[in-house]
Amino acid sequence: MWKVYKYTLIDLARNKFVGGWLLLLLAISFGLFQLEDQPLKAMLSLTQVLLALVPLVASIFSIVYLYDAMEFTELLAVQPLHRSKILGGQMLALGTALVLGTWIGAGIPLMIFQAGSAAFTLVLACTMLTLVFTAMGALIAFKNREKARGVGLGLVVWFLFVLVYDAILLWIMYAFSDYPIEPWIVPLAALDPIDLGRIMVMLKVDLAAMMGYTGAVYEKFFGSMAGTFLALGALVAWVAVPSAWAFKAFQRKDF
Amino acid sequence: MARVIFEKTGKRYGKLWALRDLSARFEPGETVSVIGPNGSGKTTLIKCMLGLVHATTGTIRVNGQVVGNDPAYRHQMGHMPQISRFPNELKIGQLIDLMDDIRGNDMQRSEGPLIRELGVDRMLDKRLGTLSGGQRQKVSAVLAFRYAPTVLVLDEPTAGLDPLSSEILLSAVREIKRTGCTVLITSHLMEEVEAMADRIAYLQDGGLQFLLSPEEILEATGQTRLSRAIPAMLANNVKRHVESL
Repeated sequence: MWKVYKYTLIDLARNKFVGGWLLLLLAISFGLFQLEDQPLKAMLSLTQVLLALVPLVASIFSIVYLYDAMEFTELLAVQPLHRSKILGGQMLALGTALVLGTWIGAGIPLMIFQAGSAAFTLVLACTMLTLVFTAMGALIAFKNREKARGVGLGLVVWFLFVLVYDAILLWIMYAFSDYPIEPWIVPLAALDPIDLGRIMVMLKVDLAAMMGYTGAVYEKFFGSMAGTFLALGALVAWVAVPSAWAFKAFQRKDF
Repeated sequence: MARVIFEKTGKRYGKLWALRDLSARFEPGETVSVIGPNGSGKTTLIKCMLGLVHATTGTIRVNGQVVGNDPAYRHQMGHMPQISRFPNELKIGQLIDLMDDIRGNDMQRSEGPLIRELGVDRMLDKRLGTLSGGQRQKVSAVLAFRYAPTVLVLDEPTAGLDPLSSEILLSAVREIKRTGCTVLITSHLMEEVEAMADRIAYLQDGGLQFLLSPEEILEATGQTRLSRAIPAMLANNVKRHVESL
């Protein structure tokens, strides 16, 4: 598995898109901190941007990369290697490249301008979201033969989590505001990994207004610390389930 | 014991059986040409052997090992696909290193002269993304022959190769055959089939129509050239011919 990992990582390190992503993140991060007088405000803007952009890039890039590498994956699959080790190496390499991109592109500016537990949590949330959407990207890539279909599906999934699900959740909260639905919000919010990332960050920022309803519920029920860990745990599950599913799809795949 | 044994192997895609109830044995040291119209199941047959496609029914054995979850049998196999694509950013040398790495101790067995003859040894620093289709085929051929396989599977190996390289490749096939390697080649070129095949497997609609030596085919049809004998054999009732043998 580590051999596949090593060579996939070499391939990724030379990939222009990964470098471009890193530069884009650097530009956004430094730009926001330069434009805004208050670093905290800049960080909040950055949070909004990252929570939308990181899942999009992670899933679409993973999908495109895995489709483009399919013939090479086929070459690996005829070697005396277990399929699980091939996919394990590839997914870890993708995760490593994208996570490193986020750490350097967003992590370094954050540590320069706004070092603290909130900034650290933001980087952690982005890391987890990268892994979640890399796993979902792999699942999509191995479940669909066509690249265009896979990319389209990746966009739909991203759109669903970044916008549609939030809207539905808001509508539910509004429609049932007369009832004690708060306990239901905890599991419902956990069904959206991007929401979980947002909750994690907002629990660390002392701005109740920014927390949003779901964040407020998490703090009310679990307090800041436990809420963070609960959200993190849910995100780990969000990595594990699509990964396991992707491995199963890859085992059964006919090339 | 036969090198490769297909026992009632079938593969279904949705409603379509790409391969149906195929039984065949391939012996050590023989070259079998797999021929048939487009979509007759040639590539599916090869991919089932390599474990790239999971057979729906039946079993396949390579060197006595059942093709399934244990990938160990593939230490003995070499494969050249119809189209090869590699990671664009890797160099040829790095790709070969990666394969050597994966094959591990298979390396000690042999390194043929093919890499030199095809000129791949002079391109080791080239990035794979910059190669032409034919050059990629050459790299693919080098990898297929590199680990002294006892079963070599070539899917239209000379398509896209220049005539000289095709000849080099085919003589490498003759060479490796002498070591007792079983070679399966798919091809649409009758001259190639005529020159290489010890036996010819004809597939149609996923079924094996016949598996005969060129002499047997010529005898059954009364023709002198394979390129005429095979259509003749198909035009008439194949079964009748086979039974008459």
